[in-house]
Amino acid sequence: MASSFGAAMEALDRSSGSPEGFCRPFLDLFPVTGAAVSTVGNVLGSETLSASDEIAARLDELQFDLGEGPCWDAMRSGSPVLEPDLRGAAPRWPAFAAATREDGLRSIFAFPLAVGPLRIGAVDLYSLRAVELNRTQIRQADAMAGVVGRHVLRHALSAVGRELDDTGNAFSRRVVHQATGMVLAQLDLSPDDARLVIQGHAFATERTMMEVAQDIIDGRLRFSKQRDAIEATE
Amino acid sequence: MTELTKEARLLQTFAALADTLVDGYDVVDLLQLLVDSCAELLDTTAAAILLADGRGELDVVASTSEASHLVEVIQLSAEAGPCVECYRTGEVVQVPDIALSPPEWFRFRDRAIELGFASVHALPMRLRDNTIGTLNLLRDRTGTLEEEDRIAARAFADVATIGILHERSVRETTVLAEQLQGALSSRVVIEQAKGVVAYMNGVGIEEAFDLIRQYARSHQLGISKVAAGIVDRTLRLGG
Repeated sequence: MASSFGAAMEALDRSSGSPEGFCRPFLDLFPVTGAAVSTVGNVLGSETLSASDEIAARLDELQFDLGEGPCWDAMRSGSPVLEPDLRGAAPRWPAFAAATREDGLRSIFAFPLAVGPLRIGAVDLYSLRAVELNRTQIRQADAMAGVVGRHVLRHALSAVGRELDDTGNAFSRRVVHQATGMVLAQLDLSPDDARLVIQGHAFATERTMMEVAQDIIDGRLRFSKQRDAIEATE
Repeated sequence: MTELTKEARLLQTFAALADTLVDGYDVVDLLQLLVDSCAELLDTTAAAILLADGRGELDVVASTSEASHLVEVIQLSAEAGPCVECYRTGEVVQVPDIALSPPEWFRFRDRAIELGFASVHALPMRLRDNTIGTLNLLRDRTGTLEEEDRIAARAFADVATIGILHERSVRETTVLAEQLQGALSSRVVIEQAKGVVAYMNGVGIEEAFDLIRQYARSHQLGISKVAAGIVDRTLRLGG
């Protein structure tokens, strides 16, 4: 089991540039019917990047239109959202439950795409049979969604490819390196991920990396790990 | 200070520099010792070493003060100013009065004057046709360096160049590029380590650098090595 999780993580790493590869590793590892990866919300807008089948794609489209559903909850809370039986007592998402009744949807699970304090979307896993994910599976799916989140954000940032990255002069790069050090200590991340947090934050707040870095160094902006979620305090 | 004493101290410094040129030495340590020696022994207020990266862009690898304003003014000079001029021509560039420097250097000029610098002496770090960076001496008074200081500065720049190029591999340009890149990448890690220490120890960026240096000295380790340990979190400075 551990090795197939390793293989899934590797497959996700290889799929870095191509969203088509995002869903397969989830289907290989978990007892679900289909998967979809979407960005949701303000940072990158709402868009399905990859879906394993038409139902998966439709489930995400519905959630965008209705403005409710597991992917919204996962994105907003930054934590996994688990619904093993949609036909259970009080539906959490009445409109979504009603709209998907005919599809025969039974279980749905959503895992946030998040990088540091930035929540950019979710991975939805659905099943036509009622299934449950155990604690290990939840942890694994969450970790896999984390990898997908970093790919998606990196890709989106390079697609807009602008002054956010390296165009500053050497002096500003130095400040960004110092801020990277502060963030990696605050969040216990690798230097690469810490840098991505700064870059993503700069993008989301429409500022340059240099400005964000300066705020971090001066203590005006700090990131902290609170339980499992990562918060930004300004 | 008498001339003899200064001479003796220069000799001592070169002996100390030679001591650092042992196998596996830390280039950043060496360059730091050099700029500190310049500030201590020569008639100069501040000193900094710039190295060119793979794209020919100049980056500060060592400076007498980590205070961001010094780094900033040197960096401005690396965009349009005496430092980049010196790097491009491979010749010494003397600016006895920064106020009179060419108009296209205005960003450097204005910031330097604002910070109290009045003159600058930039020396190429060059081995035959290869200029790899510059040693820059800034002073708070106008005028040129005395000849004996110019000679000593030349010797410092040469030691720095040798230190970077290790003796055997100078003819191989790829190796040269790698060594330069190595020195610049250790600088990146040092900057990151400053951030980690600043946060973990609740101190400013400049003080963080002092803590890293102190630790490196008292444990007889290279600054780059200490910085790498801090960044990959295997080393935590007390305090």
